[in-house]
Parts: sequence; C-alpha cells; structure tokens
Amino acid sequence: MKMADGSTILRRNRPGTKAKNFNGWPDEPFEEMDSTLAVQQYIQQQIRKEPSNIELILTPPESQDEGVWKYEHLRQFCMELNGLAVRLQGECLPENCTQMTATEQWIFLCAAHKTPKECPAIDYTRHTLDGAACLLNSNKYFPSRVSIKDSSVTKLGSVCRRVYRIFSHAYFHHRNIFDEFENETFLCRRFTHFITKYNLMSKDNLIVPIVEGDAVGSGESEA
Amino acid sequence: MKIPVPCGGTTMEESSPSQNLNGQIGPCGGGINTGIKQSDESNQRIQYSIPGILHFIQHEWARFEMERTQWELDRAELQARIAFLQGERKGQENLKNDLVRRIKMLEYALKQERAKYHKLKYGTDLNQGDMKHPGFEEAVPETNTESEAPFSSVSNFTWKQGRQMLRQYLQEIGYTDTIIDVRSNRVRTLLGLNNNEEGPGSGGVNGNETGNKRASDSQGRRTPAKKAQPSNLVEAMMLDTEAAVMANFEFLSGADVDMEDEDGLEDDIDESGEVSDETIRPSSAAKRKANKALMLHEADDVDAEAEEVLNELNLLTQAEVPGGMTQGDPQDWIISTGSGAYSADSSKRGGGDDQVDSTLGLGELAQLTVNNEAEPAYDLPTTKESLRKTWSAKYTLRSHFDGVRALAFHPADPVLITASEDHTLKLWNLHKTVPAKKSASLDVEPLYTFRGHTGPVLCLTMSSSGEQCYSAATDGAIHAWAIPSFPLDPYDSYESSVLATKLTGHTDSVWRLVCHPQREHLLSSSADGTLKLWSTRTNSLVHTYSSEQDGIPTSCDFVRDESDKMVAAFTSGHCVVFDLETGKPVTRLESTQDIAVPEVGRHIYRAVCHPLLPITMTAHEDRHIRFYDNNTGEAVHSMVAHLDAVTSLAVDPNGLYLLSGSHDCSIRLWNLDSKTCVQEITAHRKKFDESIFDVAFHPTRPFIASAGADGLAKVLRLDPMLAPSQ
Ligand SMILES: [Zn+2]
Ligand SMILES: [Zn+2]
Repeated sequence: MKMADGSTILRRNRPGTKAKNFNGWPDEPFEEMDSTLAVQQYIQQQIRKEPSNIELILTPPESQDEGVWKYEHLRQFCMELNGLAVRLQGECLPENCTQMTATEQWIFLCAAHKTPKECPAIDYTRHTLDGAACLLNSNKYFPSRVSIKDSSVTKLGSVCRRVYRIFSHAYFHHRNIFDEFENETFLCRRFTHFITKYNLMSKDNLIVPIVEGDAVGSGESEA
Repeated sequence: MKIPVPCGGTTMEESSPSQNLNGQIGPCGGGINTGIKQSDESNQRIQYSIPGILHFIQHEWARFEMERTQWELDRAELQARIAFLQGERKGQENLKNDLVRRIKMLEYALKQERAKYHKLKYGTDLNQGDMKHPGFEEAVPETNTESEAPFSSVSNFTWKQGRQMLRQYLQEIGYTDTIIDVRSNRVRTLLGLNNNEEGPGSGGVNGNETGNKRASDSQGRRTPAKKAQPSNLVEAMMLDTEAAVMANFEFLSGADVDMEDEDGLEDDIDESGEVSDETIRPSSAAKRKANKALMLHEADDVDAEAEEVLNELNLLTQAEVPGGMTQGDPQDWIISTGSGAYSADSSKRGGGDDQVDSTLGLGELAQLTVNNEAEPAYDLPTTKESLRKTWSAKYTLRSHFDGVRALAFHPADPVLITASEDHTLKLWNLHKTVPAKKSASLDVEPLYTFRGHTGPVLCLTMSSSGEQCYSAATDGAIHAWAIPSFPLDPYDSYESSVLATKLTGHTDSVWRLVCHPQREHLLSSSADGTLKLWSTRTNSLVHTYSSEQDGIPTSCDFVRDESDKMVAAFTSGHCVVFDLETGKPVTRLESTQDIAVPEVGRHIYRAVCHPLLPITMTAHEDRHIRFYDNNTGEAVHSMVAHLDAVTSLAVDPNGLYLLSGSHDCSIRLWNLDSKTCVQEITAHRKKFDESIFDVAFHPTRPFIASAGADGLAKVLRLDPMLAPSQ
C-alpha cells in the first residue's frame, strides 16, 4: 500500500546497510504504527533514541494496555540480557562459579529442569534465559501480542525474579563485566525501575545497588 | 521357475555357489545333510561339475524370474497409485476452479446489489458498462479473449471507487491485524458454499466425471434457502462478503496493475476475464430453464439471485457459529453439507486430514487463478506437478525475541537453524514436537541456543557436511559454530567448544554468507565494501573482492555450474561475476531498462545462482525478480513477483522451483520453467516496514521455511498425502 506514493519513508534495514545506520530511520509516532508489534516497535524506538532515559522508555503511550506493556518490556529485557550472558560466557566458568549465588546468603536452584537443579552460574544464566524465551513465546500463555490474559500476566513476576539473579550474580562476582555492560545499556537500572514501578518483585530482593542516576533517582523515590 | 522353487526355497537362498553344488548331489531336501558333510572337504578346492553348474543356473534363473514378477507387481501397484493421484489432482483442480467460480459469482452479486442500491438511492441506473449477467453468455467460447475482466475494467469507475473506499475502511479498522482472520474465515465459508453445491457446471467445464459425479445429489438442497431476510442483515452480509472478496482479490488486483507493463502477460488477464464469465453460470444453471423468459427483466431476477447467494452465505456463517465447520471435526462437516465429490473421495481414506488440508490451502488457490489459467501445460500429468499447491503450514517456530533474519536447513536431518536480531541463533529439530493448543500446527521448541554475537545476527549458512554453521552480525565478525550432535537436551550444561572460532577481517556488518557446496570455502559480503573468500579448513582468509564503481555488496553466491566463479550484487543495482582465483570481474549483469525508482528501486536484496544452469536470479526492492545469463550478462527475464520488495530467494535442489519471500508478508513458489506462481502463502506479519527476511528449501527433505520480522520462523511441508513416499 505504501508503495503507491514515493514520499513515504520505508523503515527497512536493506542488505548492505552499515552497522551505524542499522535501524537508523526517523521515528514513527506510536499512533501511526498499525502493526501487531507496535508496542515492541515503540519500546525499541525509545531505547534507541536514548538508552539512559529510563523514565521515558518506561512511560507507556496513552491508553496502552498495561499487561501488554509489561510483557513487551520483559521480552526486551530478556533479549538484551543475552548481551550480558555472552560476556559472562567468557569469564563465568563452571569451575569457578559452581553455583548460582549473589551474596553468600542464597544458592539459587535452576527451575528449567524437571526437578530444580543446582546448576553452575553460567548454566543457570543460559537455562533461565532459554526458559524465559520459551515461556514468553508460549502459544499457550501468550498466544497474542495484542492482548494478554490476566492469568498469564501473573507469570511475568516469576520470570523477573529469576532473570534478576543474572544481574546480581554478575554484579557480585564479575563486577568488571557488569559495569562495562551497564554503562553501555543501563539495563539493570532500567530493570530495577521497571520492577519497582509495576511491583513485580519484593523490594527486599533488589540487592544490586544501582547508581543514583538522574533518571533513576526520581523513579526510586516515587516507588 | 516351477521346478527349483520348492527345493531351493529357503536353504539355497543365501548359500554360496559351492554349497549349491553339494545340495545338488542328494535328493531334494533330504540329501542336503550328506552333501554338507562332503562339502567340508571339497569346499577347499572348489570342484565344478556340469550338473552342479546347470542346477545353479537353473536356480538363479528361478530367482530372477521371481524377482521379475515381484517387480511387475510393484509396478502395477505404483501405476495404480499414479492413476489415483492423478484423479485426485483433478479433483483438487475442480475444487479450485469451483472456488474461483464462487468468488466471481459473489463479485457479480455484489455489483448487482450495488446497482440496486444506487438505483434506489438516486433513481438512476448505475453505469456499469461491463455488467452483464453471465447467464446470457451461454455461448462464451473457451478462447474468448475479448471479454474484459470486470475488475480490471476502466469504464467501471464506481466499482473502483468503491473498492478504494473499502480499502480505506479496512485500513482504518486495522487492516493488517484483521485481514488474515478475515481471509481464513471467508475462505472457509466459501469452501462450505462450494461443497454445498458442487454444481453440474463444473463437471461440464472440466469434463471430469470422477470429480463431480455425486455433486448433483446435493444440488437440490440449496435452493430453498430462506429468502425473506431482513434487508439490513443482507447489507451487513454484503459488507462482510465484500471484505472477503477484497481479501482474496488483493493479489489479482495487484496483478492487474503490475502486469500492464509486462509483455506477454496480458493474455493472463484476458483469460481470467473469460473465466469470470463462465464462472457465474453454474449458479444459475439449475434455474436457468425455468427462468429463461424472466431473464429479460434483468434487475429483478438478478436481485433475487444475489439475495439467494447471500442467504446461502448467511446460512453457512450461521452454521459456523456452533462449530460444525471447525477443523476439529471435519467428519461432521462432510455430513452436514452433503457429500461433494471431494469429501467423498477423502473420507474413503478416512482422511479427515485431507479435508482440513484442502481447507487451509484454498485461500491461496483462489488467488492463483490468473497464473494457473494461463499455463499451457496445465493438464499434463508430470511428476513436477505434484509439487503444486500442496505445501501446507506445518510448524511455527517461536522462541526468538526479535525478527528472524536468516535460516538454514541441515543437509540431511530435519533440523533447522535460525538467526535473529535478538543476537542469538537457535537450533530446532522438526521431529521433536509438542502439539499446540487449538491449532493444526505443531509447536517445536528449540534444542540449542547459540550465544556469542553482540549485535543483530544478519546471516547464516550451513556447511555441506552439516557439521558447522557460520553466522555473522552487525559487528562484522563471522562466527564458526560446531553444530552440537543430536540428541540434545535443551538444558544441558554449556560447552564453550560450540563456538569453534571467529573469522575476523570485515569491519562492518556482514550481510551474506554462503558455503561452497563442494569445496571447503566460505564467501561473505559486507557493508565495509568488500567480499571475502575464506577457507573453512584453515579458517583463514583466501581472497578479497570489491568493485569500486558498484559500491557496497548486498548479496553474493557461488556460481554453481562453474567451480571457480561467484556472483555479487551491489548497491548500484548490478551484479558482477568474479573469477575467484584472479579476483577480476568477468561479467557484469546489468539491467538496462525497466527500473522504476532508480535509487532505492533497484536495490538487490538477494542474488542466487541456479544449481545447474548459468543463471543468476535477483530479488529487488521494486518488487521484481530478474533473471540473468551469467555468460552474456544479459537479462533473460524479469517479472513483478510480489506486492512489495522481494527480499529473499531460494531454489530447490533440483532447480525446478524458486521460492521467494517479500515484505508484502507472503512467500511465493514459482515454477522456474514457466515462471508462473504455483503457490502463495501469507506467512508473517510486519514490524515497521519489514516482513520476511529469508526463505529456504531443505536440501533433501520436503520442507520449506520462512523467517519473519515478527520473530517467527515457519516451516511448511509438502503434503504427505501427495508426496511420492506417502
Ligand atoms: Zn560467575
Ligand atoms: Zn539448569
């Protein structure tokens, strides 16, 4: 349909596009997005614009269904956490990190198996992300990306809890990796803010002290 | 043949010639023991006796004879099967024809309704020049090429306008989201209609007795449909129906416009026009005799008929509500709608599945009319034909968080790897499935997730051995992965050895990777302006290629019919054939004409080489697929292939079919011989303005797959019912 008039912008990454121009198209207003993936498009567009502007990224468009909003954000978090997992793969070896721990208080059991298992930290990380990918793409719980059943929305909390442990392990055991990743993506800050805003985890479990950035500070106090 | 069988039978079957010799000495069966005793000594130095040799020959001859009869039996069986399949295909064809007929009929009814409405409102006749009741055209010859297709008629101004309005309306209510549902619903409705009144006309038109001989039984049942419907209900139905017709005619209408500049394709349109004339006939066939006199009062009669058609539709949609027509219980459906020829056929084989499959396939079939009708070899029962129309959606692979950019099949196993913008690759075993809720397709969960890239993964290729795969992302590094061996537990512990090595050299996004089918070579094309050839044995760089005048490479492929060449596509819109050893350009594949929008329009998304012929095929932003001769560099064919940019191409291993994917959300299968579309499937949804990134044929199994911006990969399988092996 859009082919008809040449003036329309086609938001495409054509083969041959340079990395710096990838997704480098002008913003599309949310009202004009007519795709079933509009919320994902919008979130990614906001992140690309300024990854540190957490307040803006987490502000839903008007009259946006909250279940879908939370769901799409969690998808985005799990996706970006791949980046942390890739970095951890190089350093978090099963010989050194035999268990998933953050502070020495708890050992986390990996829930991806039939009976929860004491997986090494790197396996815990991978299994948790794989499990989250399966759950969040499950035809049973999330058949649509436009509307989500309340019963499925409750599943998001447990995903958040498990996924958060990846941040905490990285922070307490691989601080250099964590910092490097965080400086680039602001992901842990955004995630903490997200969780507090939508009350997806008990605040006691948020053990990674986050830098009181400008955007984050306001979010913390309000929650 | 008769003599040796009882004697030789089992004992001799596996014995060596020397033992046969011995067996011959004693009387049949009983003497074997003594023979074997002797043989212990005589075996050492093999003694040939004339009777022994004779017996052996006799025995061998008997064996061959037996085998021959066996083969003959097999042959007869296979021939029977071929005949059966051919009959079935004809049945399918009739079904399709009939469906198309229904569509035209509806279209006609719509026009009548519109005329009536117009008349009521404005009191004048609507000027629809080409609107003729097809019932009058009993003498329309098959070769009539002058009659205009109603939907392409220029004079039909209001019709076009109305369509435009409808389109806008559809867009407003969320066209992209609803259209798929509307389509499938409507097609189901149409099919119901079709089964209900598999008219005698279809038998006449196609001359196929087996297909339709039972159809007339059900003919009588349809006429007494409730006639007195409240008019607003009819009007509501109108809208609905129009939506359905529009949905199904998206392709046709697109084709109209597209093909106008294509030489030699006008025939298609004409022929389809002819079809539309024929098609309405059967609907009135039953009543024609009685009404012949009344036919002159066109408006009244036509109104009644339109109403009847709409009532029928109505009836069917109502029936659909209690779920009688859901795919779940096709058996009920067959009974309740009377046994059309096709359902009778399929129930014979207990084939609830067949019914469902045909239901699913028809949405596409309906859209194929233009091309199919034009095909001259339409009725020739060649083996190629079995590929036609029979790919059906099998698996939806959902696990990626973002668009799937590339996919590659394992050379032998039913295994697929997908590469995504979510930075990961995932490995899927198509035979490890879990049944999905309330849908015909099965869910597959990934068996392994490859993590290593730090940017969107853009391309992927698998080595011909199936032991390695290579992927590359926006960071320019090519990752070589050792494919983990099967069986796999998705929640196994991490093996860092899976990421075997990285090939570094490119300084920007790598957009295309191709493994050489025979040699241990890998070809890459990157946004840094170069193409590189790598040795996959030593994991080292062999050669670098570039073309200053053509800009940045967008795609590449090894030339298949010659071992030392490759073809690369550039942002200039041209392809260049390079000599791999010297690195020199050999031929330029330039398309001199017919590129509409020069800058973006000529952008080549994908260039692939034919597996056997010196032909390169390119997929363009301007909706074209172009074919070039590698030796002369000339464009040998060019066609509008989709409604939007063509993004991906794949050729089947035998070089007979081409699969294309497009940002218009559909994949299309093309017969490379006739360059006609044999199947169209709507596969993915849009994210921004992108939809489908990649398509692939399995090298050895009947699978095809598509990768979408919606984060899904879809696998289609050749309908097992029609596959040669069953
Ligand atoms: Zn660790
Ligand atoms: Zn685990």
